[in-house]
Amino acid sequence: MGGACVKERLKLLSRAMQAGMVAVVMAGLITGNFTWIPAALLSLFVSEVPSLLRRDLRLVLPIELNFWIVLALFFHVVAGFSGFYDRVPGWDHITHVLSASLVAALGFVLVVSIDKYVDSIYLPRPFLAFFIVMFTMAFGVVWELLEFGNDQLTGSRLQYSLSDSMIDMMFDAFGGTIVATAGAHYLTHTSPERFVESLQLDHARERVTKLVERRRGMS
Amino acid sequence: MEAERHMGRSIASVTRDQILEAELSWISSLVLFYSTVYLVLRLDVLWVVFGIVALSLYVLPIVTSRDPFRALPWEMTIVLSLPILLHVSEGSRALRETAVWWDDLTSLAFAFSTSTIGFLLTIELRMFTSVRMNRPFAIFFVIMFTLAISGFWQVGEYVGDVVFGTQSQATNGAVMGIMLWSLVGGIAMGIVYDVYLKSMSAKRMKALGLVSLWEEPV
Repeated sequence: MGGACVKERLKLLSRAMQAGMVAVVMAGLITGNFTWIPAALLSLFVSEVPSLLRRDLRLVLPIELNFWIVLALFFHVVAGFSGFYDRVPGWDHITHVLSASLVAALGFVLVVSIDKYVDSIYLPRPFLAFFIVMFTMAFGVVWELLEFGNDQLTGSRLQYSLSDSMIDMMFDAFGGTIVATAGAHYLTHTSPERFVESLQLDHARERVTKLVERRRGMS
Repeated sequence: MEAERHMGRSIASVTRDQILEAELSWISSLVLFYSTVYLVLRLDVLWVVFGIVALSLYVLPIVTSRDPFRALPWEMTIVLSLPILLHVSEGSRALRETAVWWDDLTSLAFAFSTSTIGFLLTIELRMFTSVRMNRPFAIFFVIMFTLAISGFWQVGEYVGDVVFGTQSQATNGAVMGIMLWSLVGGIAMGIVYDVYLKSMSAKRMKALGLVSLWEEPV
């Protein structure tokens, strides 16, 4: 029963962190400091996505992954609002490792599911690990490009310097490598089938086909 | 049939076109080879790694099939060896100072060539390992591979600059420009290779040993 207890705690912590994000929205509204409100609202929505998936599609993401999603968003929004990006040296890099590992984990879930459900695709474990690292790095590059584009268009300063963005990318690679190693290790003692089953993707797929059919019937 | 594949073809069965194609491909690969040797002498680590990877992917099908006509299509070999040639040629340095678009061109050429390596990976993984991809996945892989390599490349240059005091990177903007070109080049080549494989004649595909590599498993 120890596992269940940990799960309950993770859930509680996630809720607490979401409350923190709500607090950021309120504090922003009261103090008239609107910079972080859009990010906080967006993060709140994203952190609710797993529950929405669960309710509407019966798709269950691993609880640890849920927690990781909320944690990454919390570190970005709440600490960002409290000025950690300016005050704590290397905060930027901590959030980068977190978000990169999150991207890698979601990529892992995605690619294992593809491996299981698409018959013409077969991805052995070493390739899976390689894929995750490349996926995370590619995402990191796109991320830096978006930051750069944002800076150019709106005059914000998301990128401080060359070394800053390069070290960001180094940490992206670091986060991706950790998840790739952990994921490959995880699959040595859980078969991809069991992992995918635990996500209840079959239920989700049934739901989606039903929804699509209903749509078709209506039009 | 099986024995024939392993032994290679007798020279009589090879057409003039095939000889010409293989020659073009081998000559282009020599450019890659000599550039790599030159860069080894200059201790240009990143480019040496690039050259060795490209050469291995070039040689692998030839060695395993023991058939010199299983060389990559010559147009692909040219795309593969172009950026390394631009990199080693002294001309590019002079041009860089006169033509403002020169850096963009070399970045784009580099993106083309990394996406070619990604494309070759999808093909040779299919040939030599149990990895199976379908068409959309392979295109996604090519684009993702190009982006990721450009990221690792820039990090590598950055580390090199810090450790060895070289100056391969200019400003943040310049580096972002290179990565932007790799995004553009990666997407473009993902589409190009999709169309390329679809439109390649069955005869030529068979001659090159690329049969059904990107297709659904038979």
